[in-house]
Amino acid sequence: MFEYSSLLTFIALTAILAFSFYAVLIAGQLSLAQVGLASLAAFTSSLVVPNEPLFGFIPPLLIGVVFGMAVGVIAAFVLGLPVMRLRGVFLAIATLAFGEMVRIFLINQSWTNGAQGLSFPKLVGIETAWIALALVAFWFWRLSGSRMGRAFAAIREDELAATTMGIDVPRYRMASFVIAGAVAGLYGVLFAHFTRFADPNQFSFEAAVDGLVTAVVGGTTFFVGPLLGSVFLSTLPELQRTLGIDAGWIRPAISGLLLLVVILFLPGGLAGLIPRRRSSTKLVSDPAALPQLEPLPARGTEVMSLRGLGKSYGGVRAVHDVDLTLATGEILGLIGPNGAGKTTLVNMVTGVTAPTGGSGTVLGIELAAKTRAHRLASAGIARTFQQIKLFNRLSALDNVLVGGYRISRDTLLRRLVFLPSARRFERQAAAVASAQLIRVGLGDKATTAAGDLSYGDQRRLEIARALASHPTLLVLDEPAAGMNHVEAERLSELIRSLAADGVAVLIIEHNVRMMLALCDRITVLNFGEVIAAGTPEEIARDPRVLEAYLGADGDAAAATAAEELAEVAADAVKGHDDAAGTEDAR
Amino acid sequence: MSSRHLSAIAGGSLLLLALAACSTTPPAGDDAEAGGLVGTGTGAECSIESEVPIAAAFSLTGAAAQYGSSQKNALEMAVDDLNEVGGVTYALTVEDDATDPQQAIQVFDGFISSGASVIIGPTLSNTAKQTNPIAQEAGVPVLGVSNTAAGITEIGDYIFRDSLTEDAVIPQTVAAAVEEFGLEKVVVMYSNDDAFTESGYQAFAAALEDEGVEVIETLTFSKTDTDFRALLDKAKQSDPDALVVSALIEAAVPLVTQAREIGIDAPIIGGNGFNSPALISGAGEAAEGVIVGAAWNSASENEQNVAFIEAYTERFDGAPDQFAAQAYAGMQIVDEAVRANCSGEREDIKAGLGGITGLPTVLGDVSINENRDAEHEALVQVVEGGKFAILD
Repeated sequence: MFEYSSLLTFIALTAILAFSFYAVLIAGQLSLAQVGLASLAAFTSSLVVPNEPLFGFIPPLLIGVVFGMAVGVIAAFVLGLPVMRLRGVFLAIATLAFGEMVRIFLINQSWTNGAQGLSFPKLVGIETAWIALALVAFWFWRLSGSRMGRAFAAIREDELAATTMGIDVPRYRMASFVIAGAVAGLYGVLFAHFTRFADPNQFSFEAAVDGLVTAVVGGTTFFVGPLLGSVFLSTLPELQRTLGIDAGWIRPAISGLLLLVVILFLPGGLAGLIPRRRSSTKLVSDPAALPQLEPLPARGTEVMSLRGLGKSYGGVRAVHDVDLTLATGEILGLIGPNGAGKTTLVNMVTGVTAPTGGSGTVLGIELAAKTRAHRLASAGIARTFQQIKLFNRLSALDNVLVGGYRISRDTLLRRLVFLPSARRFERQAAAVASAQLIRVGLGDKATTAAGDLSYGDQRRLEIARALASHPTLLVLDEPAAGMNHVEAERLSELIRSLAADGVAVLIIEHNVRMMLALCDRITVLNFGEVIAAGTPEEIARDPRVLEAYLGADGDAAAATAAEELAEVAADAVKGHDDAAGTEDAR
Repeated sequence: MSSRHLSAIAGGSLLLLALAACSTTPPAGDDAEAGGLVGTGTGAECSIESEVPIAAAFSLTGAAAQYGSSQKNALEMAVDDLNEVGGVTYALTVEDDATDPQQAIQVFDGFISSGASVIIGPTLSNTAKQTNPIAQEAGVPVLGVSNTAAGITEIGDYIFRDSLTEDAVIPQTVAAAVEEFGLEKVVVMYSNDDAFTESGYQAFAAALEDEGVEVIETLTFSKTDTDFRALLDKAKQSDPDALVVSALIEAAVPLVTQAREIGIDAPIIGGNGFNSPALISGAGEAAEGVIVGAAWNSASENEQNVAFIEAYTERFDGAPDQFAAQAYAGMQIVDEAVRANCSGEREDIKAGLGGITGLPTVLGDVSINENRDAEHEALVQVVEGGKFAILD
């Protein structure tokens, strides 16, 4: 034993605890249950750790670790069932309550010896602690580039967008919870068997906050963060001792000050100091890397059929009695003044909002109250949002990679053992994503964070992300907003080419001129009801449509739309007359 | 970019500086290894050339800071007093464990590798259970001056303490109270989420059984509770001859006050947690008649004790408490152990500590028994006229 062996061991152990917080933070969840889980694992492990190696060769600690991790996993799962629906601070409070419950429970058990604590055999030394840390860090390193890791990041950035990419958000949130439970269990067992003693009061609220602070100070976007946080916070007291700062209040004050400095000036945590590429994945523009994708259904296959679909909020009918069908290869436009119910309709079609009346089938899935958006997404529906919902802190390419969730495979297990197929699958996913990114003209901005892109680029990135899922039905909610005429025309071309490939497109757009030129059919909504449906020519001539737009007082977009509508209608009439004139001349 | 690099460089150099500082710290244990700690003569004539390094780990910050700071004060005073005697000079290092076992373990590591002859502390029993095995393995004697929980000295033959356990004090308290009030049936209350109060409860339960007193009811609460009215109502209904309470002072004050408020007139018997001037200043009138067993009492007329209280009050501008007295006595015991073999070597101090018998200290005459626990007379006190008085 040398002077700093305990310090070094604590650095490893604290880092493992921080990793259990990291596991939930990367999925955007603030859970403070980990310390309680660690406590539960530590104390229950005392019931099973034998004095002698099992069967003569299985070390007692290994049994404790496996058991403790299992306890952590099971307890996290059971806790997760009721609290998974909570978000943000509510989740934090619920999990905090769980930790307190565990503490009170353990204090009142006779086998834990209550508040007087329990002695443990010393089975953990500096080597064991660092080996355990290395394994945990390795797991998170391999996780970060896998499909699962991307799904976590997507959930952290925007849950709704993640759901509509086909990610089963509750399942992944539970997964992150359970992973945190396993790591916390490992920490609990190792900690007790290193310090030789544990009492339930050690695993308190303060300990939970310490773990959280360590993870956040280290940084939650890079897998070395928890280790850096642990090194920083564990060495501070020792450093101050070595520097000869007098014992007493001054030391915690200095520690607090340094903590403040780190939080203020390094929002990404200490890991933010490590220079690295924004995105771990690079653009793959080699067409040979593209995988063979499943062919789309034959042109003309019906993919959406709505019968009397409606949605009312209390007495307000947002959408009422809408009949609508759409087939592959078709472009269906949805127009109407603001508040007409277009987005509500689209939300119902994509499973984001449950209908309250009528029925509908999308890609073979019945629209019902419990139809979840990710199921529709995995069936082949992809969408963009009126209010842009990108994963802002992820690079453009990573955003599109998340979009490819549906058609890629999870590579975590393969990555853990470095199977060559993991590389191949990752490359294929990157190739699909790169192709879509290049298709919308963002190839040169692949590594830029989505949040740093211009408004128009963000719109295009959303489309690329939707396309990356190789959808059968593409839903675009105001894709041309903020684009100039040239850009809108380029977008129209893109949409036409998609329809030509056999994709069914449902599009909402205020740019009436563009819609009339682009769509095969247009349905007009006003006050939640269909007031007109037909070919663009029929719509342009329909006086009810113009009336609806003119009736929308004080709406600049509606005024523009009405103007455009009138112009186009006039053009159409003129064209008709010209044609008639020519005929007459014959 | 430049600012990012700057901060990276700054962070990196800080770390390097830290590592350099760590590696260049000279091990202070050179003297010990050279054998310069063995002196000539014995007892009062003992003379050791080198300073004997004494290390102490107390909780100077964190939850137990109030105890740790009086321990530190008293220990420093004891070292100054003993250094004046001459012959043996002590070099004291006091470190903070921040009431955190992780810190305490690292502090102990540091003490052991820097060559401390003996370690005094740590403040809390549960911390001692984590730190003392390290000293035991390294063969460094430890003298606890405030650990009262069971199982501390069982850690190993290098672990001693001068603090009386609850098991030593409480039977005397119960016996005195039974004799005074003729108790037959009592209600016991304790906070079950604290190691100290829980072991106090166990000692009470055992002592009451020994005395043949019936426990009508046992009520538990949390150490952070401050409202005991519901529990006290329940206790009142059983009409006990006395309330027996094991609680820390933070709970003791409201508990005693509220018991008197709702009209419980029965005597209240407290554990060591009640032995604080805060009981009287906090509970005032209500504290009258409360019986407290303790290892030390400020009213004790022991000559050394009177001098100690006077000197301490003058130097630190406040009266000493039991933690201070036990820390001061701890240094007196260490001094005796060093002088016994006239050596500051770890093994010799260990042998010396084992041989302490009837040493006059501020706590009274202290002996260390075969279990390495201290034995001295405990005091049963009663609050009378706003003061702790000895119950005769």
